[in-house]
Amino acid sequence: MGHPQPPWVTVLYFARSAELVGLRSESVSVPQRITSLQLWEEIVKIHPRLAVIRDQVVFAVRQEYVLLGDQLLVLQTGDEVAIIPPISGG
Amino acid sequence: MNEREDVPKDFIKLKSEKLSVDEVSELVISPCCGAVSLFIGTTRNNFEGKKVIRLEYEAYTSMAEMEIKKICRDVRQKWPSVKHIAMHHRLGVVPITEASVIIAVSSPHRAESLEAVTHCINTLKAFVPIWKKVCLVQIWF
Repeated sequence: MGHPQPPWVTVLYFARSAELVGLRSESVSVPQRITSLQLWEEIVKIHPRLAVIRDQVVFAVRQEYVLLGDQLLVLQTGDEVAIIPPISGG
Repeated sequence: MNEREDVPKDFIKLKSEKLSVDEVSELVISPCCGAVSLFIGTTRNNFEGKKVIRLEYEAYTSMAEMEIKKICRDVRQKWPSVKHIAMHHRLGVVPITEASVIIAVSSPHRAESLEAVTHCINTLKAFVPIWKKVCLVQIWF
Protein backbone atom coordinates (compact mmCIF):
# COMPACT_ATOMS: atom_id res chain seq x y z
CA MET A 1 0.00 0.00 0.00
CA GLY A 2 1.46 3.35 -1.01
CA HIS A 3 1.23 6.70 0.75
CA PRO A 4 -2.23 8.30 0.68
CA GLN A 5 -2.70 11.24 -1.69
CA PRO A 6 -2.41 14.68 -0.09
CA PRO A 7 -5.92 15.90 0.64
CA TRP A 8 -7.76 18.50 -1.42
CA VAL A 9 -9.44 20.89 1.01
CA THR A 10 -12.09 23.46 0.10
CA VAL A 11 -10.82 26.92 1.01
CA LEU A 12 -13.63 29.47 1.56
CA TYR A 13 -12.98 33.21 1.36
CA PHE A 14 -15.17 35.83 3.06
CA ALA A 15 -15.43 39.62 3.20
CA ARG A 16 -12.06 41.34 2.68
CA SER A 17 -10.25 38.06 1.93
CA ALA A 18 -12.73 37.32 -0.89
CA GLU A 19 -12.09 40.78 -2.36
CA LEU A 20 -8.30 40.35 -2.18
CA VAL A 21 -8.39 36.92 -3.81
CA GLY A 22 -11.27 37.51 -6.26
CA LEU A 23 -12.79 34.15 -5.34
CA ARG A 24 -15.35 32.76 -2.94
CA SER A 25 -13.93 29.22 -2.84
CA GLU A 26 -11.44 26.85 -4.41
CA SER A 27 -9.93 23.41 -3.92
CA VAL A 28 -6.35 23.44 -2.66
CA SER A 29 -3.97 20.49 -2.21
CA VAL A 30 -2.22 20.62 1.17
CA PRO A 31 -0.20 18.23 3.33
CA GLN A 32 -2.41 16.00 5.49
CA ARG A 33 -0.62 17.07 8.69
CA ILE A 34 0.19 20.76 8.86
CA THR A 35 0.17 23.54 11.43
CA SER A 36 -2.37 26.31 11.03
CA LEU A 37 0.43 28.81 10.37
CA GLN A 38 1.93 26.55 7.67
CA LEU A 39 -1.52 26.22 6.11
CA TRP A 40 -1.82 30.02 5.97
CA GLU A 41 1.59 30.22 4.31
CA GLU A 42 0.54 27.64 1.70
CA ILE A 43 -2.52 29.72 0.85
CA VAL A 44 -0.52 32.96 0.71
CA LYS A 45 1.86 31.31 -1.77
CA ILE A 46 -1.12 30.93 -4.11
CA HIS A 47 -2.61 34.37 -3.28
CA PRO A 48 0.18 36.73 -2.12
CA ARG A 49 -2.30 39.63 -1.76
CA LEU A 50 -3.68 37.91 1.35
CA ALA A 51 -0.47 38.73 3.25
CA VAL A 52 -1.82 42.18 4.18
CA ILE A 53 -4.54 40.70 6.41
CA ARG A 54 -2.37 38.10 8.14
CA ASP A 55 -2.65 39.76 11.57
CA GLN A 56 -6.43 40.03 11.42
CA VAL A 57 -7.58 36.60 10.31
CA VAL A 58 -8.31 33.27 11.90
CA PHE A 59 -9.26 30.02 10.24
CA ALA A 60 -12.38 27.96 10.64
CA VAL A 61 -11.42 24.33 9.99
CA ARG A 62 -14.43 22.01 9.75
CA GLN A 63 -16.37 24.95 11.23
CA GLU A 64 -14.24 25.29 14.37
CA TYR A 65 -12.17 28.43 14.86
CA VAL A 66 -8.39 27.93 14.76
CA LEU A 67 -5.80 30.66 15.39
CA LEU A 68 -2.84 30.97 13.05
CA GLY A 69 -0.03 29.27 14.96
CA ASP A 70 1.34 25.93 16.09
CA GLN A 71 -1.92 24.01 16.25
CA LEU A 72 -1.52 20.78 14.28
CA LEU A 73 -4.28 20.10 11.81
CA VAL A 74 -5.05 16.68 10.33
CA LEU A 75 -6.87 17.33 7.07
CA GLN A 76 -8.93 15.14 4.75
CA THR A 77 -10.21 15.66 1.25
CA GLY A 78 -13.39 17.70 1.34
CA ASP A 79 -12.62 19.46 4.64
CA GLU A 80 -13.71 23.10 4.66
CA VAL A 81 -11.07 25.65 5.62
CA ALA A 82 -12.50 29.16 5.84
CA ILE A 83 -10.52 32.39 6.05
CA ILE A 84 -12.27 34.45 8.73
CA PRO A 85 -11.55 38.21 8.77
CA PRO A 86 -12.75 40.15 11.84
CA ILE A 87 -16.46 39.41 12.19
CA SER A 88 -19.00 42.24 12.32
CA GLY A 89 -22.47 40.73 12.47
CA GLY A 90 -25.43 41.98 14.47
CA MET B 1 -52.54 25.81 22.35
CA ASN B 2 -51.76 22.14 23.06
CA GLU B 3 -49.42 22.29 26.05
CA ARG B 4 -47.60 19.15 24.99
CA GLU B 5 -46.49 21.07 21.86
CA ASP B 6 -45.10 23.93 23.93
CA VAL B 7 -41.60 22.41 24.29
CA PRO B 8 -38.70 24.88 24.28
CA LYS B 9 -37.75 25.78 20.74
CA ASP B 10 -34.97 27.67 18.99
CA PHE B 11 -35.95 29.61 15.87
CA ILE B 12 -32.87 30.49 13.80
CA LYS B 13 -33.04 32.16 10.42
CA LEU B 14 -30.61 33.90 8.07
CA LYS B 15 -32.48 35.49 5.18
CA SER B 16 -32.27 38.32 2.68
CA GLU B 17 -35.88 39.46 3.04
CA LYS B 18 -36.89 42.26 5.41
CA LEU B 19 -37.10 41.09 9.04
CA SER B 20 -40.36 41.33 10.96
CA VAL B 21 -40.55 42.22 14.65
CA ASP B 22 -44.13 40.88 14.79
CA GLU B 23 -43.09 37.56 13.29
CA VAL B 24 -40.07 37.08 15.58
CA SER B 25 -41.87 38.02 18.78
CA GLU B 26 -44.86 35.82 17.94
CA LEU B 27 -42.53 32.84 17.52
CA VAL B 28 -41.52 32.92 21.20
CA ILE B 29 -44.86 33.68 22.81
CA SER B 30 -45.90 30.92 25.22
CA PRO B 31 -48.80 30.53 27.64
CA CYS B 32 -46.40 29.74 30.50
CA CYS B 33 -44.34 32.89 29.92
CA GLY B 34 -45.04 36.32 31.31
CA ALA B 35 -42.11 37.97 29.56
CA VAL B 36 -40.87 38.37 25.99
CA SER B 37 -37.66 40.39 25.64
CA LEU B 38 -36.57 41.73 22.28
CA PHE B 39 -33.43 43.19 20.73
CA ILE B 40 -33.54 44.86 17.33
CA GLY B 41 -30.28 45.90 15.62
CA THR B 42 -30.87 48.58 13.01
CA THR B 43 -28.52 50.16 10.49
CA ARG B 44 -27.14 53.59 11.38
CA ASN B 45 -26.54 56.35 8.87
CA ASN B 46 -23.01 57.16 10.06
CA PHE B 47 -19.72 55.31 10.44
CA GLU B 48 -16.50 56.99 11.59
CA GLY B 49 -17.84 60.40 10.69
CA LYS B 50 -18.90 59.43 7.18
CA LYS B 51 -22.42 59.13 5.81
CA VAL B 52 -23.56 55.52 5.26
CA ILE B 53 -25.98 54.78 2.47
CA ARG B 54 -26.52 51.10 3.26
CA LEU B 55 -24.97 48.01 4.81
CA GLU B 56 -24.41 44.69 3.08
CA TYR B 57 -24.15 41.54 5.14
CA GLU B 58 -22.57 38.22 4.22
CA ALA B 59 -22.29 35.04 6.26
CA TYR B 60 -20.51 31.70 6.39
CA THR B 61 -24.02 30.39 6.55
CA SER B 62 -23.60 26.80 7.72
CA MET B 63 -21.16 27.78 10.45
CA ALA B 64 -23.20 30.84 11.46
CA GLU B 65 -26.27 28.67 12.04
CA MET B 66 -24.18 26.26 14.12
CA GLU B 67 -22.72 29.07 16.20
CA ILE B 68 -26.20 30.51 16.79
CA LYS B 69 -27.39 27.05 17.89
CA LYS B 70 -24.47 26.99 20.37
CA ILE B 71 -25.62 30.36 21.73
CA CYS B 72 -29.10 28.96 22.28
CA ARG B 73 -27.69 25.91 24.11
CA ASP B 74 -25.57 28.23 26.22
CA VAL B 75 -28.58 30.40 27.09
CA ARG B 76 -30.59 27.37 28.19
CA GLN B 77 -27.74 26.24 30.44
CA LYS B 78 -27.33 29.66 32.06
CA TRP B 79 -31.05 30.51 32.27
CA PRO B 80 -32.93 27.19 32.49
CA SER B 81 -36.33 28.87 32.73
CA VAL B 82 -35.99 30.42 29.25
CA LYS B 83 -38.68 28.98 27.01
CA HIS B 84 -38.27 29.95 23.35
CA ILE B 85 -35.42 31.74 21.59
CA ALA B 86 -35.64 33.35 18.15
CA MET B 87 -32.63 34.84 16.36
CA HIS B 88 -33.16 36.22 12.85
CA HIS B 89 -30.34 37.90 10.92
CA ARG B 90 -30.69 39.57 7.56
CA LEU B 91 -28.17 39.00 4.80
CA GLY B 92 -27.45 41.06 1.69
CA VAL B 93 -28.41 44.72 1.43
CA VAL B 94 -29.99 46.33 4.51
CA PRO B 95 -31.12 49.95 3.95
CA ILE B 96 -30.66 52.55 6.68
CA THR B 97 -33.01 52.23 9.69
CA GLU B 98 -34.07 48.71 8.73
CA ALA B 99 -33.36 45.80 11.06
CA SER B 100 -30.29 43.66 10.49
CA VAL B 101 -30.94 41.40 13.47
CA ILE B 102 -33.90 40.63 15.72
CA ILE B 103 -33.59 38.48 18.85
CA ALA B 104 -36.56 37.47 21.02
CA VAL B 105 -36.55 35.34 24.19
CA SER B 106 -39.46 34.28 26.37
CA SER B 107 -39.38 33.25 30.03
CA PRO B 108 -41.88 33.03 32.89
CA HIS B 109 -40.45 36.14 34.58
CA ARG B 110 -38.71 39.14 33.07
CA ALA B 111 -35.17 38.92 34.55
CA GLU B 112 -34.15 35.80 32.64
CA SER B 113 -35.34 36.85 29.20
CA LEU B 114 -33.81 40.35 29.58
CA GLU B 115 -30.45 38.88 30.56
CA ALA B 116 -30.62 36.17 27.90
CA VAL B 117 -31.29 38.64 25.08
CA THR B 118 -28.26 40.69 26.12
CA HIS B 119 -26.13 37.56 26.15
CA CYS B 120 -27.44 36.53 22.72
CA ILE B 121 -26.55 39.76 20.93
CA ASN B 122 -23.17 40.12 22.66
CA THR B 123 -22.18 36.54 21.85
CA LEU B 124 -23.49 36.80 18.28
CA LYS B 125 -21.26 39.81 17.68
CA ALA B 126 -18.24 37.99 19.12
CA PHE B 127 -18.58 34.53 17.57
CA VAL B 128 -21.01 34.24 14.66
CA PRO B 129 -19.25 34.42 11.25
CA ILE B 130 -21.23 37.26 9.69
CA TRP B 131 -19.65 40.37 8.15
CA LYS B 132 -21.05 43.79 7.32
CA LYS B 133 -19.81 45.93 4.49
CA VAL B 134 -20.39 49.60 5.10
CA CYS B 135 -21.25 51.48 1.89
CA LEU B 136 -20.24 55.10 2.29
CA VAL B 137 -20.90 58.42 0.68
CA GLN B 138 -17.88 60.67 1.14
CA ILE B 139 -18.63 64.37 1.36
CA TRP B 140 -16.17 67.12 0.38
CA PHE B 141 -16.41 70.18 2.60
